[in-house]
Amino acid sequence: MTKRNIFSLFEILFWPVVGFFSVGLLTTFLDLDPNRTGFILIGIISMSVIQVCQIDVAEALLYDLWAKSMKHTFIAPIHPHQLLLGSWIIGVIRSLVVFLLLALFSLFVFDFDFLRPGVFPLSLFLLGLFLTSASVGMTVCILILVFGYKAEVAAWSLSSLMALICGIYYPISILPTPLPEIARGIPLTYFLAYLRSFYGFQEGFQSLLRWGFGLAGFYLIVEVILFRIVLHRAKRTGMILKLSE
Amino acid sequence: MALAIKAEGIYKSFYTGWLKRSEKQVLRGIHLEVEKGEIFGILGPNGAGKTTLLSILSTLLFPDRGQIEILGMDSRREAHRIREKVNLSSGNANFLWSMTVEENLHFYGMLYGLAGHRRNQKVKELISLLGLEEHRGVSFDRLSTGMKQRLALAKSLLNDPSVLFLDEPTVGLDPSVSVWIRQQIQMIQKERGMTILLTTHNMREAERLCDRIAFLKDGRILTAGDPDSLKRMVRLGDLIKIEFEGRVEEDELGRIEGVINYSVTNGLCEVIVDEGERRLGPLITKLSEDGVKIKRVTLGQTDLEEVFLEFSKSSNSDMGLYLQELDHDQAKYL
Repeated sequence: MTKRNIFSLFEILFWPVVGFFSVGLLTTFLDLDPNRTGFILIGIISMSVIQVCQIDVAEALLYDLWAKSMKHTFIAPIHPHQLLLGSWIIGVIRSLVVFLLLALFSLFVFDFDFLRPGVFPLSLFLLGLFLTSASVGMTVCILILVFGYKAEVAAWSLSSLMALICGIYYPISILPTPLPEIARGIPLTYFLAYLRSFYGFQEGFQSLLRWGFGLAGFYLIVEVILFRIVLHRAKRTGMILKLSE
Repeated sequence: MALAIKAEGIYKSFYTGWLKRSEKQVLRGIHLEVEKGEIFGILGPNGAGKTTLLSILSTLLFPDRGQIEILGMDSRREAHRIREKVNLSSGNANFLWSMTVEENLHFYGMLYGLAGHRRNQKVKELISLLGLEEHRGVSFDRLSTGMKQRLALAKSLLNDPSVLFLDEPTVGLDPSVSVWIRQQIQMIQKERGMTILLTTHNMREAERLCDRIAFLKDGRILTAGDPDSLKRMVRLGDLIKIEFEGRVEEDELGRIEGVINYSVTNGLCEVIVDEGERRLGPLITKLSEDGVKIKRVTLGQTDLEEVFLEFSKSSNSDMGLYLQELDHDQAKYL
Protein backbone atom coordinates (compact mmCIF):
# COMPACT_ATOMS: atom_id res chain seq x y z
CA MET A 1 0.00 0.00 0.00
CA THR A 2 2.87 2.34 0.74
CA LYS A 3 5.05 1.36 -2.19
CA ARG A 4 4.28 4.52 -4.13
CA ASN A 5 2.93 6.57 -1.27
CA ILE A 6 5.72 8.98 -0.44
CA PHE A 7 3.95 10.23 2.68
CA SER A 8 4.14 6.78 4.21
CA LEU A 9 7.86 6.63 3.61
CA PHE A 10 8.18 10.00 5.32
CA GLU A 11 6.25 8.69 8.27
CA ILE A 12 8.37 5.59 8.52
CA LEU A 13 11.85 7.02 7.98
CA PHE A 14 12.13 10.73 7.34
CA TRP A 15 10.36 12.21 10.36
CA PRO A 16 11.79 9.75 12.92
CA VAL A 17 15.33 10.34 11.67
CA VAL A 18 14.93 14.12 11.46
CA GLY A 19 13.30 14.24 14.91
CA PHE A 20 16.00 12.04 16.39
CA PHE A 21 18.87 14.17 15.09
CA SER A 22 17.17 17.45 16.04
CA VAL A 23 16.82 16.34 19.63
CA GLY A 24 20.13 14.47 19.72
CA LEU A 25 22.10 17.47 18.45
CA LEU A 26 20.33 19.67 20.98
CA THR A 27 21.65 17.44 23.77
CA THR A 28 25.16 17.83 22.31
CA PHE A 29 24.77 21.62 22.21
CA LEU A 30 23.52 21.69 25.81
CA ASP A 31 26.50 19.54 26.75
CA LEU A 32 24.39 17.14 28.84
CA ASP A 33 25.97 14.28 30.72
CA PRO A 34 25.64 10.83 29.05
CA ASN A 35 22.80 9.67 31.30
CA ARG A 36 20.71 12.79 30.68
CA THR A 37 21.43 12.46 26.96
CA GLY A 38 20.22 8.86 27.22
CA PHE A 39 17.11 10.00 29.09
CA ILE A 40 16.19 12.28 26.23
CA LEU A 41 17.17 9.84 23.47
CA ILE A 42 14.97 7.16 25.04
CA GLY A 43 12.15 9.69 24.84
CA ILE A 44 12.60 10.63 21.19
CA ILE A 45 13.08 7.01 20.06
CA SER A 46 10.02 5.87 22.02
CA MET A 47 8.04 8.66 20.44
CA SER A 48 9.15 7.63 16.95
CA VAL A 49 8.36 3.96 17.57
CA ILE A 50 4.89 4.81 18.87
CA GLN A 51 4.16 7.25 16.03
CA VAL A 52 5.04 4.71 13.35
CA CYS A 53 3.30 1.75 14.99
CA GLN A 54 0.11 3.57 16.00
CA ILE A 55 -0.32 5.15 12.57
CA ASP A 56 -0.16 1.68 11.02
CA VAL A 57 -2.95 0.50 13.32
CA ALA A 58 -4.96 3.63 12.53
CA GLU A 59 -4.35 3.10 8.82
CA ALA A 60 -6.56 0.02 9.06
CA LEU A 61 -9.28 2.63 8.57
CA LEU A 62 -7.38 5.78 7.59
CA TYR A 63 -6.56 4.61 4.06
CA ASP A 64 -10.17 3.63 3.52
CA LEU A 65 -11.22 7.00 4.91
CA TRP A 66 -8.97 8.87 2.48
CA ALA A 67 -9.88 6.64 -0.46
CA LYS A 68 -13.59 6.62 0.46
CA SER A 69 -13.51 2.85 0.16
CA MET A 70 -14.66 1.99 3.68
CA LYS A 71 -17.63 -0.09 2.55
CA HIS A 72 -15.45 -2.44 0.53
CA THR A 73 -13.52 -3.34 3.66
CA PHE A 74 -16.59 -3.86 5.79
CA ILE A 75 -18.45 -5.93 3.22
CA ALA A 76 -15.53 -8.36 3.15
CA PRO A 77 -15.78 -11.40 5.45
CA ILE A 78 -13.11 -10.14 7.79
CA HIS A 79 -13.51 -9.67 11.53
CA PRO A 80 -12.56 -6.27 12.97
CA HIS A 81 -9.97 -7.90 15.22
CA GLN A 82 -8.30 -9.48 12.17
CA LEU A 83 -8.14 -6.09 10.49
CA LEU A 84 -6.65 -4.39 13.54
CA LEU A 85 -4.32 -7.22 14.44
CA GLY A 86 -2.97 -7.39 10.89
CA SER A 87 -2.33 -3.65 10.86
CA TRP A 88 -0.67 -3.85 14.28
CA ILE A 89 1.70 -6.61 13.17
CA ILE A 90 2.75 -4.49 10.18
CA GLY A 91 3.17 -1.56 12.56
CA VAL A 92 5.35 -3.64 14.89
CA ILE A 93 7.60 -4.70 12.03
CA ARG A 94 8.00 -1.17 10.69
CA SER A 95 8.52 0.46 14.05
CA LEU A 96 11.06 -2.22 14.93
CA VAL A 97 13.00 -1.21 11.83
CA VAL A 98 12.77 2.42 12.95
CA PHE A 99 13.94 1.46 16.44
CA LEU A 100 16.94 -0.51 15.15
CA LEU A 101 17.92 2.33 12.86
CA LEU A 102 17.67 4.98 15.57
CA ALA A 103 19.37 2.75 18.14
CA LEU A 104 22.30 2.38 15.75
CA PHE A 105 22.45 6.16 15.28
CA SER A 106 22.37 6.53 19.08
CA LEU A 107 25.29 4.22 19.45
CA PHE A 108 27.49 5.58 16.70
CA VAL A 109 26.60 9.29 16.77
CA PHE A 110 25.78 9.96 20.42
CA ASP A 111 27.57 7.04 22.05
CA PHE A 112 24.42 5.84 23.79
CA ASP A 113 23.96 2.07 24.10
CA PHE A 114 20.35 0.89 24.11
CA LEU A 115 21.45 -2.65 24.90
CA ARG A 116 22.88 -1.74 28.29
CA PRO A 117 19.77 -2.99 30.17
CA GLY A 118 20.01 -6.33 28.28
CA VAL A 119 17.98 -7.89 25.50
CA PHE A 120 15.11 -9.12 27.67
CA PRO A 121 14.36 -5.81 29.47
CA LEU A 122 14.67 -3.98 26.15
CA SER A 123 12.25 -6.45 24.54
CA LEU A 124 9.77 -5.89 27.38
CA PHE A 125 10.12 -2.14 26.92
CA LEU A 126 9.50 -2.45 23.17
CA LEU A 127 6.52 -4.74 23.75
CA GLY A 128 5.13 -2.08 26.06
CA LEU A 129 5.56 0.55 23.35
CA PHE A 130 3.88 -1.68 20.77
CA LEU A 131 0.90 -2.33 23.03
CA THR A 132 0.62 1.38 23.80
CA SER A 133 0.69 2.06 20.06
CA ALA A 134 -2.08 -0.48 19.49
CA SER A 135 -4.13 1.32 22.07
CA VAL A 136 -3.57 4.76 20.49
CA GLY A 137 -4.22 3.43 16.97
CA MET A 138 -7.45 1.78 18.06
CA THR A 139 -8.56 5.01 19.71
CA VAL A 140 -8.07 6.76 16.36
CA CYS A 141 -10.11 4.04 14.62
CA ILE A 142 -12.88 4.37 17.20
CA LEU A 143 -12.95 8.16 16.77
CA ILE A 144 -13.08 7.77 12.97
CA LEU A 145 -16.11 5.50 13.20
CA VAL A 146 -17.85 7.98 15.48
CA PHE A 147 -16.82 11.35 14.05
CA GLY A 148 -15.71 10.47 10.52
CA TYR A 149 -13.33 12.84 8.76
CA LYS A 150 -13.21 15.19 11.74
CA ALA A 151 -11.31 12.54 13.69
CA GLU A 152 -8.51 12.26 11.15
CA VAL A 153 -6.40 14.76 13.06
CA ALA A 154 -6.34 12.40 16.05
CA ALA A 155 -3.98 10.12 14.13
CA TRP A 156 -1.15 12.61 14.64
CA SER A 157 -2.19 14.54 17.70
CA LEU A 158 -3.06 11.75 20.16
CA SER A 159 0.41 10.27 20.39
CA SER A 160 2.03 13.72 20.71
CA LEU A 161 -0.37 14.66 23.48
CA MET A 162 0.29 11.38 25.24
CA ALA A 163 4.06 11.90 24.93
CA LEU A 164 3.73 15.36 26.45
CA ILE A 165 1.89 14.04 29.48
CA CYS A 166 4.00 10.91 29.95
CA GLY A 167 7.28 12.82 30.29
CA ILE A 168 8.87 12.13 26.96
CA TYR A 169 11.87 14.43 27.58
CA TYR A 170 11.49 15.10 31.32
CA PRO A 171 10.30 13.40 34.51
CA ILE A 172 6.55 13.71 35.07
CA SER A 173 7.22 15.20 38.50
CA ILE A 174 7.90 18.59 36.85
CA LEU A 175 4.43 18.64 35.24
CA PRO A 176 1.76 20.91 36.78
CA THR A 177 -1.15 19.29 38.62
CA PRO A 178 -3.20 17.31 37.57
CA LEU A 179 -0.98 16.15 34.69
CA PRO A 180 1.24 13.83 36.83
CA GLU A 181 -1.90 12.06 38.06
CA ILE A 182 -3.15 11.70 34.50
CA ALA A 183 0.28 10.40 33.47
CA ARG A 184 -0.02 7.64 36.05
CA GLY A 185 -3.04 6.37 34.15
CA ILE A 186 -1.10 5.99 30.90
CA PRO A 187 1.04 2.85 30.37
CA LEU A 188 3.74 4.71 28.43
CA THR A 189 4.74 6.54 31.64
CA TYR A 190 5.68 3.21 33.25
CA PHE A 191 7.50 1.82 30.23
CA LEU A 192 9.63 4.97 29.91
CA ALA A 193 10.36 4.90 33.64
CA TYR A 194 11.26 1.20 33.39
CA LEU A 195 13.92 1.65 30.70
CA ARG A 196 15.27 4.86 32.25
CA SER A 197 15.67 3.06 35.55
CA PHE A 198 18.55 1.12 33.96
CA TYR A 199 20.32 4.42 33.36
CA GLY A 200 20.02 5.66 36.92
CA PHE A 201 16.72 7.53 36.82
CA GLN A 202 14.07 6.60 39.37
CA GLU A 203 10.56 8.09 39.03
CA GLY A 204 9.52 6.80 42.43
CA PHE A 205 7.03 4.25 41.00
CA GLN A 206 6.85 0.65 42.12
CA SER A 207 6.07 -2.42 39.97
CA LEU A 208 6.61 -0.52 36.74
CA LEU A 209 6.03 -3.41 34.35
CA ARG A 210 3.02 -4.69 36.25
CA TRP A 211 1.38 -1.29 36.07
CA GLY A 212 2.43 -0.70 32.49
CA PHE A 213 1.22 -4.02 31.10
CA GLY A 214 -1.81 -4.05 33.38
CA LEU A 215 -2.98 -0.67 32.13
CA ALA A 216 -2.10 -1.49 28.51
CA GLY A 217 -4.10 -4.72 28.72
CA PHE A 218 -7.02 -2.96 30.39
CA TYR A 219 -7.17 -0.25 27.74
CA LEU A 220 -6.94 -2.79 24.93
CA ILE A 221 -9.84 -4.80 26.33
CA VAL A 222 -11.90 -1.63 26.75
CA GLU A 223 -11.05 -0.53 23.22
CA VAL A 224 -11.92 -3.88 21.67
CA ILE A 225 -15.34 -3.60 23.32
CA LEU A 226 -15.66 0.06 22.32
CA PHE A 227 -14.65 -0.74 18.74
CA ARG A 228 -17.40 -3.33 18.49
CA ILE A 229 -19.90 -0.85 19.90
CA VAL A 230 -18.94 1.98 17.55
CA LEU A 231 -18.87 -0.38 14.56
CA HIS A 232 -22.39 -1.45 15.44
CA ARG A 233 -23.32 2.22 15.79
CA ALA A 234 -21.70 3.05 12.44
CA LYS A 235 -23.82 0.36 10.79
CA ARG A 236 -26.89 1.83 12.43
CA THR A 237 -26.19 5.47 11.62
CA GLY A 238 -24.82 4.85 8.14
CA MET A 239 -21.38 6.24 8.99
CA ILE A 240 -19.67 3.53 6.93
CA LEU A 241 -21.65 4.63 3.90
CA LYS A 242 -21.01 8.31 4.58
CA LEU A 243 -17.30 7.60 4.70
CA SER A 244 -17.55 5.81 1.35
CA GLU A 245 -19.14 8.68 -0.57
CA MET B 1 -37.72 -21.64 -6.96
CA ALA B 2 -35.50 -21.02 -3.91
CA LEU B 3 -35.08 -17.49 -2.68
CA ALA B 4 -31.74 -15.70 -2.66
CA ILE B 5 -33.05 -12.62 -0.88
CA LYS B 6 -36.03 -12.29 1.37
CA ALA B 7 -36.78 -9.01 3.12
CA GLU B 8 -39.85 -8.35 5.19
CA GLY B 9 -40.98 -5.05 6.62
CA ILE B 10 -37.73 -3.12 6.30
CA TYR B 11 -37.80 0.33 7.83
CA LYS B 12 -34.88 2.72 8.01
CA SER B 13 -34.55 6.29 9.17
CA PHE B 14 -31.51 8.51 9.44
CA TYR B 15 -31.12 11.15 12.11
CA THR B 16 -29.20 14.39 11.97
CA GLY B 17 -28.27 16.87 14.68
CA TRP B 18 -27.26 16.27 18.29
CA LEU B 19 -29.61 18.42 20.32
CA LYS B 20 -32.44 18.98 17.88
CA ARG B 21 -32.60 15.68 16.13
CA SER B 22 -34.44 15.53 12.84
CA GLU B 23 -35.54 12.26 11.34
CA LYS B 24 -35.53 11.33 7.70
CA GLN B 25 -37.45 8.20 6.86
CA VAL B 26 -35.70 6.49 3.98
CA LEU B 27 -37.34 3.07 3.82
CA ARG B 28 -40.94 2.51 4.84
CA GLY B 29 -41.83 -1.15 5.01
CA ILE B 30 -40.02 -2.84 2.16
CA HIS B 31 -41.03 -6.37 1.23
CA LEU B 32 -38.85 -8.05 -1.31
CA GLU B 33 -38.25 -11.55 -2.58
CA VAL B 34 -35.58 -12.28 -5.14
CA GLU B 35 -35.23 -15.74 -6.58
CA LYS B 36 -31.92 -17.48 -7.00
CA GLY B 37 -30.34 -16.88 -10.39
CA GLU B 38 -32.38 -13.86 -11.43
CA ILE B 39 -31.36 -10.31 -12.17
CA PHE B 40 -33.62 -8.13 -10.10
CA GLY B 41 -33.66 -4.39 -10.57
CA ILE B 42 -34.58 -1.74 -8.04
CA LEU B 43 -35.63 1.22 -10.08
CA GLY B 44 -36.24 4.64 -8.70
CA PRO B 45 -35.32 8.31 -8.78
CA ASN B 46 -32.49 9.82 -6.76
CA GLY B 47 -33.28 9.77 -3.06
CA ALA B 48 -35.79 6.93 -3.37
CA GLY B 49 -33.80 4.76 -0.96
CA LYS B 50 -32.15 2.41 -3.44
CA THR B 51 -28.63 2.59 -2.03
CA THR B 52 -29.93 2.37 1.53
CA LEU B 53 -31.86 -0.78 0.68
CA LEU B 54 -28.87 -2.31 -1.07
CA SER B 55 -26.60 -1.43 1.85
CA ILE B 56 -28.98 -3.08 4.30
CA LEU B 57 -29.22 -6.22 2.18
CA SER B 58 -25.43 -6.38 1.88
CA THR B 59 -25.03 -6.13 5.71
CA LEU B 60 -23.35 -2.70 5.59
CA LEU B 61 -26.26 -1.06 7.35
CA PHE B 62 -28.68 -2.22 10.00
CA PRO B 63 -32.39 -1.71 9.42
CA ASP B 64 -34.48 -0.14 12.20
CA ARG B 65 -37.03 -2.90 11.80
CA GLY B 66 -37.58 -5.91 9.62
CA GLN B 67 -36.25 -9.35 8.82
CA ILE B 68 -33.75 -10.17 6.12
CA GLU B 69 -32.58 -13.52 4.88
CA ILE B 70 -29.82 -13.81 2.33
CA LEU B 71 -29.40 -17.33 0.91
CA GLY B 72 -31.44 -18.58 3.84
CA MET B 73 -29.16 -16.94 6.42
CA ASP B 74 -30.31 -14.32 8.90
CA SER B 75 -28.62 -11.04 8.07
CA ARG B 76 -28.06 -10.05 11.71
CA ARG B 77 -26.99 -13.33 13.26
CA GLU B 78 -25.09 -14.75 10.28
CA ALA B 79 -23.72 -11.55 8.74
CA HIS B 80 -20.19 -12.88 8.55
CA ARG B 81 -21.23 -16.00 6.66
CA ILE B 82 -23.37 -13.88 4.35
CA ARG B 83 -20.41 -11.65 3.56
CA GLU B 84 -18.52 -14.72 2.34
CA LYS B 85 -21.25 -15.31 -0.24
CA VAL B 86 -22.07 -11.79 -1.42
CA ASN B 87 -20.22 -8.88 -2.91
CA LEU B 88 -20.90 -5.33 -3.95
CA SER B 89 -19.94 -3.07 -6.79
CA SER B 90 -21.07 0.50 -6.92
CA GLY B 91 -21.00 3.31 -9.43
CA ASN B 92 -18.48 6.08 -8.77
CA ALA B 93 -16.16 3.38 -7.50
CA ASN B 94 -13.53 4.28 -4.93
CA PHE B 95 -10.53 2.17 -4.08
CA LEU B 96 -7.14 2.74 -2.53
CA TRP B 97 -5.82 5.42 -4.86
CA SER B 98 -2.09 4.76 -4.62
CA MET B 99 -2.42 1.10 -5.55
CA THR B 100 -2.57 -0.26 -9.07
CA VAL B 101 -5.43 -2.28 -10.51
CA GLU B 102 -3.58 -5.49 -9.80
CA GLU B 103 -2.56 -4.47 -6.28
CA ASN B 104 -6.10 -3.43 -5.42
CA LEU B 105 -7.39 -6.83 -6.53
CA HIS B 106 -4.68 -8.59 -4.52
CA PHE B 107 -5.46 -6.46 -1.47
CA TYR B 108 -9.18 -7.20 -1.56
CA GLY B 109 -8.42 -10.81 -2.48
CA MET B 110 -6.58 -11.06 0.84
CA LEU B 111 -9.61 -9.68 2.66
CA TYR B 112 -11.62 -12.48 1.06
CA GLY B 113 -9.17 -15.06 2.32
CA LEU B 114 -7.47 -15.75 -1.00
CA ALA B 115 -3.78 -16.52 -0.79
CA GLY B 116 -0.83 -17.62 -2.87
CA HIS B 117 -1.42 -19.30 -6.20
CA ARG B 118 -5.20 -19.21 -5.82
CA ARG B 119 -5.19 -15.43 -5.45
CA ASN B 120 -2.77 -14.94 -8.33
CA GLN B 121 -4.96 -17.05 -10.58
CA LYS B 122 -8.13 -15.27 -9.54
CA VAL B 123 -6.63 -11.81 -10.07
CA LYS B 124 -5.29 -12.84 -13.47
CA GLU B 125 -8.66 -14.31 -14.46
CA LEU B 126 -10.58 -11.19 -13.43
CA ILE B 127 -8.14 -8.80 -15.12
CA SER B 128 -8.63 -10.78 -18.31
CA LEU B 129 -12.42 -11.07 -17.91
CA LEU B 130 -12.89 -7.33 -17.44
CA GLY B 131 -10.37 -6.33 -20.12
CA LEU B 132 -8.00 -4.67 -17.67
CA GLU B 133 -4.75 -6.17 -19.00
CA GLU B 134 -3.37 -2.89 -20.29
CA HIS B 135 -4.19 -1.11 -17.05
CA ARG B 136 -3.04 -3.71 -14.55
CA GLY B 137 -0.06 -1.58 -13.51
CA VAL B 138 -1.91 1.75 -13.48
CA SER B 139 -2.68 3.29 -10.10
CA PHE B 140 -6.35 3.77 -9.30
CA ASP B 141 -6.22 7.56 -9.31
CA ARG B 142 -5.00 7.53 -12.92
CA LEU B 143 -7.77 5.31 -14.25
CA SER B 144 -10.65 6.64 -16.33
CA THR B 145 -14.17 6.38 -14.88
CA GLY B 146 -14.91 3.42 -17.13
CA MET B 147 -11.79 1.57 -16.03
CA LYS B 148 -12.58 2.28 -12.38
CA GLN B 149 -15.98 0.72 -12.96
CA ARG B 150 -14.41 -2.35 -14.53
CA LEU B 151 -12.12 -2.65 -11.53
CA ALA B 152 -15.14 -2.36 -9.23
CA LEU B 153 -16.81 -5.22 -11.09
CA ALA B 154 -13.63 -7.29 -10.97
CA LYS B 155 -13.32 -6.71 -7.23
CA SER B 156 -16.93 -7.76 -6.73
CA LEU B 157 -16.23 -11.13 -8.35
CA LEU B 158 -13.19 -12.00 -6.23
CA ASN B 159 -15.11 -14.36 -3.98
CA ASP B 160 -17.33 -15.83 -6.73
CA PRO B 161 -20.39 -14.43 -4.96
CA SER B 162 -23.72 -16.21 -5.06
CA VAL B 163 -25.43 -12.85 -4.68
CA LEU B 164 -24.01 -9.75 -6.32
CA PHE B 165 -25.22 -6.28 -5.42
CA LEU B 166 -24.69 -3.65 -8.09
CA ASP B 167 -25.40 -0.09 -7.06
CA GLU B 168 -25.93 2.06 -10.15
CA PRO B 169 -23.25 0.16 -12.08
CA THR B 170 -23.23 2.48 -15.11
CA VAL B 171 -23.75 5.86 -13.47
CA GLY B 172 -21.51 8.54 -14.96
CA LEU B 173 -20.28 6.33 -17.79
CA ASP B 174 -20.50 7.23 -21.45
CA PRO B 175 -22.99 5.18 -23.51
CA SER B 176 -20.47 2.86 -25.14
CA VAL B 177 -18.88 1.93 -21.80
CA SER B 178 -22.33 1.52 -20.24
CA VAL B 179 -23.30 -0.91 -22.97
CA TRP B 180 -20.07 -2.86 -22.46
CA ILE B 181 -20.60 -3.02 -18.68
CA ARG B 182 -24.19 -4.21 -19.17
CA GLN B 183 -23.04 -6.91 -21.57
CA GLN B 184 -20.45 -8.05 -19.05
CA ILE B 185 -23.02 -8.17 -16.28
CA GLN B 186 -25.34 -10.29 -18.43
CA MET B 187 -22.54 -12.57 -19.53
CA ILE B 188 -21.17 -13.04 -16.01
CA GLN B 189 -24.64 -13.75 -14.64
CA LYS B 190 -25.32 -16.26 -17.40
CA GLU B 191 -22.02 -18.05 -16.96
CA ARG B 192 -22.02 -18.17 -13.18
CA GLY B 193 -25.73 -18.32 -12.51
CA MET B 194 -25.46 -15.83 -9.69
CA THR B 195 -28.29 -13.74 -8.34
CA ILE B 196 -27.88 -10.06 -9.13
CA LEU B 197 -29.70 -7.26 -7.39
CA LEU B 198 -29.03 -3.97 -9.06
CA THR B 199 -30.21 -0.47 -8.45
CA THR B 200 -30.53 2.08 -11.20
CA HIS B 201 -32.46 5.13 -12.18
CA ASN B 202 -31.89 4.28 -15.81
CA MET B 203 -35.14 2.73 -17.04
CA ARG B 204 -33.63 1.33 -20.21
CA GLU B 205 -30.84 -0.31 -18.27
CA ALA B 206 -33.37 -1.99 -16.01
CA GLU B 207 -35.48 -3.09 -18.96
CA ARG B 208 -32.52 -4.57 -20.79
CA LEU B 209 -30.85 -6.27 -17.86
CA CYS B 210 -33.48 -7.35 -15.41
CA ASP B 211 -35.76 -10.36 -15.24
CA ARG B 212 -37.88 -8.53 -12.71
CA ILE B 213 -38.06 -4.96 -11.57
CA ALA B 214 -39.37 -3.19 -8.51
CA PHE B 215 -40.24 0.49 -8.56
CA LEU B 216 -39.01 2.25 -5.44
CA LYS B 217 -40.17 5.73 -4.55
CA ASP B 218 -40.02 7.60 -1.25
CA GLY B 219 -38.89 4.45 0.52
CA ARG B 220 -41.77 2.31 -0.69
CA ILE B 221 -41.94 -0.30 -3.39
CA LEU B 222 -44.74 0.82 -5.67
CA THR B 223 -44.93 -2.40 -7.59
CA ALA B 224 -42.80 -5.19 -9.01
CA GLY B 225 -42.84 -7.65 -11.85
CA ASP B 226 -41.21 -8.41 -15.15
CA PRO B 227 -40.97 -5.45 -17.53
CA ASP B 228 -43.74 -6.66 -19.83
CA SER B 229 -46.24 -7.34 -17.08
CA LEU B 230 -45.50 -3.94 -15.55
CA LYS B 231 -46.30 -2.31 -18.85
CA ARG B 232 -49.50 -4.29 -19.11
CA MET B 233 -50.38 -3.37 -15.55
CA VAL B 234 -50.46 0.36 -16.24
CA ARG B 235 -52.42 -0.11 -19.45
CA LEU B 236 -50.74 2.83 -21.09
CA GLY B 237 -50.78 0.91 -24.31
CA ASP B 238 -48.48 0.80 -27.30
CA LEU B 239 -49.00 3.16 -30.21
CA ILE B 240 -49.27 1.71 -33.72
CA LYS B 241 -49.04 4.31 -36.49
CA ILE B 242 -50.22 3.25 -39.92
CA GLU B 243 -49.88 5.41 -43.02
CA PHE B 244 -52.41 4.24 -45.58
CA GLU B 245 -54.33 4.88 -48.76
CA GLY B 246 -58.03 4.18 -49.00
CA ARG B 247 -60.76 4.33 -46.40
CA VAL B 248 -60.57 3.03 -42.86
CA GLU B 249 -63.83 2.10 -41.16
CA GLU B 250 -63.31 3.72 -37.77
CA ASP B 251 -66.08 1.74 -36.07
CA GLU B 252 -64.41 -1.48 -37.17
CA LEU B 253 -61.15 -0.39 -35.55
CA GLY B 254 -62.79 -0.07 -32.16
CA ARG B 255 -64.02 -3.65 -32.34
CA ILE B 256 -60.59 -5.19 -32.86
CA GLU B 257 -59.38 -7.02 -29.76
CA GLY B 258 -56.85 -5.14 -27.65
CA VAL B 259 -57.58 -1.69 -29.12
CA ILE B 260 -57.78 0.92 -26.38
CA ASN B 261 -58.15 4.07 -28.48
CA TYR B 262 -57.73 5.22 -32.07
CA SER B 263 -57.83 8.19 -34.42
CA VAL B 264 -57.81 8.47 -38.18
CA THR B 265 -56.74 11.66 -39.97
CA ASN B 266 -55.46 12.38 -43.49
CA GLY B 267 -54.06 8.97 -44.32
CA LEU B 268 -52.67 8.39 -40.85
CA CYS B 269 -54.26 5.96 -38.47
CA GLU B 270 -53.05 5.95 -34.87
CA VAL B 271 -54.17 3.03 -32.76
CA ILE B 272 -53.37 2.51 -29.09
CA VAL B 273 -53.38 -1.18 -28.21
CA ASP B 274 -52.63 -3.07 -25.00
CA GLU B 275 -49.75 -5.09 -26.49
CA GLY B 276 -48.26 -3.77 -29.68
CA GLU B 277 -46.41 -6.82 -30.89
CA ARG B 278 -49.40 -9.10 -30.31
CA ARG B 279 -52.02 -6.82 -31.85
CA LEU B 280 -50.07 -5.54 -34.84
CA GLY B 281 -50.65 -8.62 -37.03
CA PRO B 282 -54.44 -8.88 -36.60
CA LEU B 283 -54.79 -5.11 -37.06
CA ILE B 284 -52.90 -5.08 -40.37
CA THR B 285 -54.81 -8.16 -41.55
CA LYS B 286 -58.13 -6.51 -40.76
CA LEU B 287 -57.24 -3.30 -42.57
CA SER B 288 -55.94 -5.21 -45.59
CA GLU B 289 -59.12 -7.27 -45.70
CA ASP B 290 -61.08 -4.00 -45.80
CA GLY B 291 -59.13 -2.97 -48.90
CA VAL B 292 -56.89 -0.45 -47.21
CA LYS B 293 -53.45 -0.10 -48.79
CA ILE B 294 -50.84 -0.01 -46.05
CA LYS B 295 -47.86 2.26 -46.84
CA ARG B 296 -45.92 2.33 -43.61
CA VAL B 297 -46.28 0.93 -40.11
CA THR B 298 -44.44 2.01 -36.95
CA LEU B 299 -44.80 0.53 -33.51
CA GLY B 300 -44.02 2.68 -30.51
CA GLN B 301 -43.85 0.62 -27.36
CA THR B 302 -44.38 1.95 -23.88
CA ASP B 303 -41.10 2.18 -22.07
CA LEU B 304 -40.51 1.71 -18.38
CA GLU B 305 -40.09 5.42 -17.84
CA GLU B 306 -43.72 5.99 -18.74
CA VAL B 307 -44.73 3.06 -16.61
CA PHE B 308 -42.79 4.43 -13.67
CA LEU B 309 -44.30 7.87 -14.07
CA GLU B 310 -47.76 6.34 -14.07
CA PHE B 311 -46.99 4.40 -10.90
CA SER B 312 -45.56 7.51 -9.30
CA LYS B 313 -48.72 9.56 -9.72
CA SER B 314 -50.42 10.76 -6.59
CA SER B 315 -52.63 8.45 -4.62
CA ASN B 316 -55.65 10.51 -5.71
CA SER B 317 -55.32 9.27 -9.25
CA ASP B 318 -56.92 6.10 -10.49
CA MET B 319 -53.52 4.48 -10.65
CA GLY B 320 -52.84 5.46 -7.10
CA LEU B 321 -56.04 3.76 -5.98
CA TYR B 322 -55.11 0.78 -8.08
CA LEU B 323 -51.77 0.63 -6.32
CA GLN B 324 -53.35 0.84 -2.91
CA GLU B 325 -55.41 -2.18 -3.83
CA LEU B 326 -52.32 -3.94 -5.03
CA ASP B 327 -50.22 -3.19 -1.99
CA HIS B 328 -51.25 -6.09 0.22
CA ASP B 329 -51.38 -8.81 -2.38
CA GLN B 330 -48.24 -7.66 -4.08
CA ALA B 331 -46.33 -7.57 -0.84
CA LYS B 332 -46.66 -11.33 -0.86
CA TYR B 333 -45.71 -11.57 -4.50
CA LEU B 334 -42.64 -9.33 -4.24
